[in-house]
Amino acid sequence: MDMFLQAINTVCNPLTLLLIAGGTLFGIICGSLPGLSSSMAIILCLPFTYSMDQVTAIVLLVTVYLGGAAGGSISAILLKTPGTPEAIATTFDGYPMARDGLAGKALGLAVTASAFGAIFSAFVMLLAAPLLADAALSFQSAEYFALGLVGLACITSIGARNQLKAVFSVFIGLMVSTIGLDSINGQERIAFGQPFLINGINYISVMIGTFAIAEVYKNIESYHSRDTSLKTPDKLTIQLMSFRDMARMWDTFLKGSVLGTLIGIIPAAGGSIASLIAYGEASGRHKDEKPAFGEGNPRGIIAPESANNAAIGGSMVPTLVLGIPGSPVAAVIMAAFLIIGLTPGPLLVRDQPVMLNAIFLAMTISAFLLFIGGRFVTSQFAHILKLPYPLLGILIVALGLVGAFSLKNSFYDVMIMFIFSLVGYCFDKFNYSSAALILGLILGDLIEVSLRRQIIIGDGSLAGFYTRPLALVIIGIAVMALLWPAGRALLAAGKAGKLD
Amino acid sequence: MMPELLFNLLLALAVILYLVAAGQLPESGDSLDTLGASGFPLMIGVAALLVMAGLTARLLRQGNAAGSGLRETPLPDTRLMLVNVGLLAGYILLLNVLGFAVSTLLYLFIAPTTFGYSNWQRLGMYALIGSIALVVVFGTVFFVPLPRGIGVFRELSYLVY
Repeated sequence: MDMFLQAINTVCNPLTLLLIAGGTLFGIICGSLPGLSSSMAIILCLPFTYSMDQVTAIVLLVTVYLGGAAGGSISAILLKTPGTPEAIATTFDGYPMARDGLAGKALGLAVTASAFGAIFSAFVMLLAAPLLADAALSFQSAEYFALGLVGLACITSIGARNQLKAVFSVFIGLMVSTIGLDSINGQERIAFGQPFLINGINYISVMIGTFAIAEVYKNIESYHSRDTSLKTPDKLTIQLMSFRDMARMWDTFLKGSVLGTLIGIIPAAGGSIASLIAYGEASGRHKDEKPAFGEGNPRGIIAPESANNAAIGGSMVPTLVLGIPGSPVAAVIMAAFLIIGLTPGPLLVRDQPVMLNAIFLAMTISAFLLFIGGRFVTSQFAHILKLPYPLLGILIVALGLVGAFSLKNSFYDVMIMFIFSLVGYCFDKFNYSSAALILGLILGDLIEVSLRRQIIIGDGSLAGFYTRPLALVIIGIAVMALLWPAGRALLAAGKAGKLD
Repeated sequence: MMPELLFNLLLALAVILYLVAAGQLPESGDSLDTLGASGFPLMIGVAALLVMAGLTARLLRQGNAAGSGLRETPLPDTRLMLVNVGLLAGYILLLNVLGFAVSTLLYLFIAPTTFGYSNWQRLGMYALIGSIALVVVFGTVFFVPLPRGIGVFRELSYLVY
């Protein structure tokens, strides 16, 4: 209780409340603009956090994350173009509603569901994180190695356009993570005699390059061939849901939130998968309702939106407690933790109990602010969409450059950002996965160090990996996560064969 | 197929270079650290090379099946994108010469013209407001030591941030 009161004291001061409001609004704006993702919004906010205290910095980033996930639905509904990957499923029924003149109602459903999902998962995070932390304290190097594998296995099996290329992308990330000083014996590795490589390659520079700058290149490349047939309405307002409508569809709210939270907890799964699974569940259960799913059914917006926002609280659990990002966006937040001097893991929850409570409070406040922020952004959206992309894209490049430079005030980080922007562009062009590369880069050190430490602890033997039950179970989960897409493809092929 | 093949070749070369560098690392002095500093890099490097071989073989198979005459159509604005990549490279190189404020002002002014913008007055305002906002927010408010350039640009920068 003391910790909660301390958290209230920390969060409920004017400056932090202003940052929460600003973060939520910035997240909604970035999320609503195609080409600006939640990851990019957080990356752009990172330089602002360098001079903040640790709790305030994390609170700001989490609210940006939450605003971004909710904001993605705005362009998904109005333009059939999801602002973020998490809003893909929202387009299925949101756009038909907007097309039928129900844009305001569709946006109201999206904001209400987003707020519900976020508050639900914030409660779960607050209750489950300490429990998971207690369990995680018994982890040794073997378990951490296994967890690292789970993180990698999930990113290679979910959401990638080509699984083998995602595996290769992970390897590239792992390889980049080994550049610099060896964490076990301090030996200089693969630095090619370059002093700036001795401290390793900073993953923030790589992230800015592969996500933000590469996205700008991609948008410039298709600048004149964009579909301009869809017109933005001049005036937009959100119509909030009535309590009666909410009560009528309570099951969709709850199932979407539960699914989103659970999927968010799985390392590296994330909101996109959660929203698609929740949409699939809702459309299967209510398939006889009118209007049909895909033609403007309100549950088709509630399910994915409650799930993708619930995934935020869920993804914060492994990020905070185990140091394993629950989603690619959480990987960026995890990087932010390290930058501001906090190491995510069981000790963080034990040593910084105020942090967890503060994140819970910030998420709850931010969820309510979604209504205000959503209303404001929606009303401005018609104008924002008329902004020429070249001006916006070029400003993003300049912001990214400052973000990379300000990490260590190093020109080399800017060069690394530039090089990886080209890598990210080519990765996207040839269906490799930049997200997998980042996960490999972030988890590489954990995997290598845990592997070698366990071997050293075991007197040079690998026995620790199969004699420790928990490690064995987690390795099993990683193997299953890796093999599941192949199994699913085989099952689908078998079914297709039967039908033929 | 050709651009992807070339990209795969570049990646394979990078992996080979990485493997050569990893192979030259000395063995660990600790007898219990059986992997040593080079063990993990060699493992992932070899695995990456094998996956790349598989990817390239599949690409060649698909290319042959589709017919060797098949050519990929580039997007209409590829040249525009390449020009902007060049502009970004120039912007980065100028940072250490002209400093952040001046090079950002130039970049924000010049880059939109590649898209066909010719309203100089509006572009000038955009570049000026954008660069001032970035310098004030990052340089003055958040104390990020932005690049100052050399010579007179360096001296002038101290007046701003």
